[in-house]
Amino acid sequence: MPNTYRLISTNTLNSAASSVTFSNIPQFYTDLKVVMSARSSNASNFDNPRISINNSTSTFTRREIYAESGSAGSESVADRIIGNCPAANLTANTFGSLEFYLPNYTSSNYKFWSCDSVTGSNSATYSLWLLAGLWSTTTAVSTIAFSLQTGANFVQHSTFTLYGISNA
Amino acid sequence: MSPILGITSSQLIGRLTSYDSIATQTVTGTGVTSVSFTSIPQTYTHLQIRASVRSNSVAAYDAFYIYNLNGAGVSSEMANHYIYGTGAAVGVNSYTAQFSSQMGFVPAANTLANNFGAGIVDILDYTNTNKNKVMRGLVGYDDNGNTSGSPFITFSSAYSVQLGTSAVTNLTFIINNSFAIGTKFALYGVK
Amino acid sequence: MPSTYEPIVTNTLTTTANSVTLSSIPSTYTDLVVVVATTTGGDINFRINGDTGANYSQTVIYGYSSFGSTKSTNATYNWLNYGSNSGNLLAILQLNNYSSTTANKTSIVRDAANGATSDVMAGLWRSTAAITSLTFTPPSTFAVGSTFTIYGIKAA
Repeated sequence: MPNTYRLISTNTLNSAASSVTFSNIPQFYTDLKVVMSARSSNASNFDNPRISINNSTSTFTRREIYAESGSAGSESVADRIIGNCPAANLTANTFGSLEFYLPNYTSSNYKFWSCDSVTGSNSATYSLWLLAGLWSTTTAVSTIAFSLQTGANFVQHSTFTLYGISNA
Repeated sequence: MSPILGITSSQLIGRLTSYDSIATQTVTGTGVTSVSFTSIPQTYTHLQIRASVRSNSVAAYDAFYIYNLNGAGVSSEMANHYIYGTGAAVGVNSYTAQFSSQMGFVPAANTLANNFGAGIVDILDYTNTNKNKVMRGLVGYDDNGNTSGSPFITFSSAYSVQLGTSAVTNLTFIINNSFAIGTKFALYGVK
Repeated sequence: MPSTYEPIVTNTLTTTANSVTLSSIPSTYTDLVVVVATTTGGDINFRINGDTGANYSQTVIYGYSSFGSTKSTNATYNWLNYGSNSGNLLAILQLNNYSSTTANKTSIVRDAANGATSDVMAGLWRSTAAITSLTFTPPSTFAVGSTFTIYGIKAA
């Protein structure tokens, strides 16, 4: 029986890093899933992980439903942000929980995804996002890199896990 | 893929499967007010709980909660935040210093018979002793307009201050009344 | 040891289609996860077991050019996406306890379209029958390359 849901690679930061890259992604899966438990060093409550694909940082767009510290809404921005994570001013030792799903990553169509993320918090300061993303490029995905919108570092102990999912 | 300084990178292309079933709890009798998973293996990286839940509460709906991680004593140090939609309104709620963390709402005795809510809850890095534990949940049900102010689709986060950075070894789900027969919680480990 | 998370069936369109049905779903799993990825735009719906009756309802949180919550009652299908779908749709449909013969069927759909629409929905099919087929229908036709996959999850 084919093995459907497979760990491809895990990156665990032993020290702060400005970006994390998954390169040479095998091309024999159908979909990719990334789960991220990350925290930013930025002096703020939140930061936003962002993506580059095949070293490209252009032709991205997103729309998310958000709930942040008591308010909710939806916004659309032409950038490569994929979600949220806690930053230095939020409860210590707290990392976000993010799940990114990219179907048909080897296809010759545009690449699109969903990404759900939350920040843990013991206060009224929090962030929840349900995001839709698009990369208007038809190239197969072979490299994915994550960095933070503020340019800050992912802190030590942040983890990034890439899974391959195969269809029937 | 070469390791990069400061990053531990591992490739497990050869591993056969990364998603395993750990245990399942199904309510088969009356008066069941909590469902627990104990002695959770520490050999996975992440946990996922998939649930089908109904309450016996004499109401149209009930909330279900993650409570008292690791079976530690009663505390008021759980928090949760969620966005919800009822079909008539969308809103947010935020709770701190709570006895338990609410993950969402499920049908109860006064709504359509045979209706169960569905839930998927993820806990990343549950054994990591450098991190506080954060739970991310998607929980919902629909009742065909049976009750005003109901149903609910909810996206939530839950957080345990008391647990701190300890690894999660026990999980308990509770409800305001008791779980209906047929309620099911399945625990999965992900490498 | 059998895998916990297995693909049951995949339909990848090599020609356009007015609808896509995935049938003969075995009852041997606990939950189903259905992944639909298509460049087709517009309102796409799904039905269960070929039921065209008014047995569906759904509650939505939607975000596109507007934001809010809405619901349907006594509908003849459930939405696979809500709001404005201009194509490039990913929909993940969760069907917990799908093979139960005592519970109505609850679905959770998470959909994301074209970086422009993001929704989450809880749906109900008022039937205690086990789910054996799913039918997806677009406004006109599904584009070539559209993919529909059902994964089975088996609990201990």
